[in-house]
Amino acid sequence: MDKIRVIRFEYGDAFFNMALDEAIMRAVGGGMSPPTLRIYGWDPPAVSVGYFQELKEEIDLEFCHDRKIQMVRRLSGGGAVLHTPKELTYSFSVRVDDPLVPQDVQGSYMKICAPIVSALRKLGVEANFRPINDIEVARRKVSGSAQTRRFGAVLQHGTILLGMDYSLLPALKTRPEKLAEKGVRDVRDRITTIGELLRREVKQSEFEDLLIRSFAAHFQASVEETKLCGMEELIPALEERYKSAEWTFRR
Amino acid sequence: MERSVARKFRDGKMVKVWVKSDGGSIKEIRITGDFFAHPEEGIELIERELRDVKIVEVRRALESASGGITLIGVSIEDLIDMIEECLE
Repeated sequence: MDKIRVIRFEYGDAFFNMALDEAIMRAVGGGMSPPTLRIYGWDPPAVSVGYFQELKEEIDLEFCHDRKIQMVRRLSGGGAVLHTPKELTYSFSVRVDDPLVPQDVQGSYMKICAPIVSALRKLGVEANFRPINDIEVARRKVSGSAQTRRFGAVLQHGTILLGMDYSLLPALKTRPEKLAEKGVRDVRDRITTIGELLRREVKQSEFEDLLIRSFAAHFQASVEETKLCGMEELIPALEERYKSAEWTFRR
Repeated sequence: MERSVARKFRDGKMVKVWVKSDGGSIKEIRITGDFFAHPEEGIELIERELRDVKIVEVRRALESASGGITLIGVSIEDLIDMIEECLE
């Protein structure tokens, strides 16, 4: 891999965010674009559910409606995630046959999470990869990722909790099987943010530079910054699909 | 009749299987949860292939439908187990 295309941090709404990730993935898989790292944020706040999840089992619809939290179904599997404007989300798309990313799914998670772990360590937190798809600091989750493999590409996207608006956590239904008891306190024992660990605010712009450098170093690639994904014309139709009730409530 | 079974697996993945049956064969089945499957369409394929399958044929049908699918967070054996529990 000699070149990584980088799309720098911008806020988007849930539907645009998922549409752009898919457009990038299609462009990369179709050979129209080199491996692409995109860094972005969510505004307004949103919850995303995994491709196989039953939405109403995971999300408090009434709370989301009252607090104007968007709901979107991802192309990737995995669990429900609350996205607030203080977090940073990344997506990395690479051709499925690119030799720098292992064919086996577990190995590829580790490979793509490695630059994130390095960037977090540069910031000063003792981050570790925890299989299958998490990054933890002192046993508390600071980042979770999910993959989908379609259109000739692997797309891995994930959150990095620089900060978090905990007041929106009730958007996710916490299950007794997953947490000891219901309630925000228990979630806060399982997850933390970089801001809390470092006792200062970490802005997206600060972490973004570390992350880009780390991806370039890990994949021994040069960085080409761009605002284009190679398949811009797909975005409006993809946004419509991600907005549709048919897609959102398909499970 | 309809039954669902939910289980939490190693690595913390949660899987729910819902089965509608007429006592002799599966009429409809839905597999949901926070697991991963590659390709993703493999799960929809399994759900289609198991429709109208006789209860005694579940293992054979699932094994044959799941040939090209990589599952993470749940195994084919887990799914067979949960489907059979729904049909008990």
